[in-house]
Amino acid sequence: METWPFWLAGLGIGAFVPLFAFATGKALGISSGYSEMCALNKPASSERWKLWFALGLPLGGVASALLAGGPTWVASSSDLTSALGLGGPAQLALLALGGGFIGYGARAAGGCTSGHSIVGIAQGAKSSLIATVGFMVGGFAATWGALLLAGGAA
Amino acid sequence: MKQTTFLAAGAVFGFLLSRARATDYAAIHGMFTLTDLHLFGVIGVAIATAAAGLALLRRGDLRALNGERIHVAPKPYHRAVFAGGLVFGVGWALSGACPGTALAQLGEGKLYALATVAGIAGGTWLRQRSAVNAASPAQVS
Repeated sequence: METWPFWLAGLGIGAFVPLFAFATGKALGISSGYSEMCALNKPASSERWKLWFALGLPLGGVASALLAGGPTWVASSSDLTSALGLGGPAQLALLALGGGFIGYGARAAGGCTSGHSIVGIAQGAKSSLIATVGFMVGGFAATWGALLLAGGAA
Repeated sequence: MKQTTFLAAGAVFGFLLSRARATDYAAIHGMFTLTDLHLFGVIGVAIATAAAGLALLRRGDLRALNGERIHVAPKPYHRAVFAGGLVFGVGWALSGACPGTALAQLGEGKLYALATVAGIAGGTWLRQRSAVNAASPAQVS
């Protein structure tokens, strides 16, 4: 996958936030889009736009992959196998478990890496700074814990 | 605002996440093992750029293109913010994804991200269910 240097990617993601706000009047947020997925059986709320935004994300992934000569469809992650020695069903179980933590934690914290770590910190919001410290501490702890459990198979 | 507008905006953001390598398990694992600092750089530059842009919007006292008031308010602080953050971080590291990148991964052809997406939806549902029962402010977002 062709990628951009960190500064270009950061500029792009960062500039997206005020441009999106200027175009739509709304603050970028993604994790709450999953709440809309969970509320499809209810009448559309004023937050229904978040679902459409979330559904657009895979389209962007396709576009990015197409430019790099893809997409190449794969059912398992070779990176996860080399990092933790996990493949097949065990890998999918780990991803689903990790996803569960992500969803539960994002709703408890009131946002994710986009809404809290980028938009929130950019506004200087205390809650977003605290949430992001939590994201980082949790991430470091889980990574090193998993490596220990996997027998240091890094 | 039309649904297709948000679909297109999501596609642009998904494209950016993909080009940033935020959809790459190895990049996230490398960030937490401190062997690949690329994503720290991405996040740092993104925060600085977003802060500058939001400050400009505020100074200009602008309305959005569609005439709406621009509503970008700081998220409220409550007791669950840090603990929720910890839980989220564990998931971020285990799955090498976050709510946005898991969806972008799907488009890149990484079908295993379906497991991540399903997990995120499940976790969201579980928290909202328990939050409704406890009448906590967790649904504020």
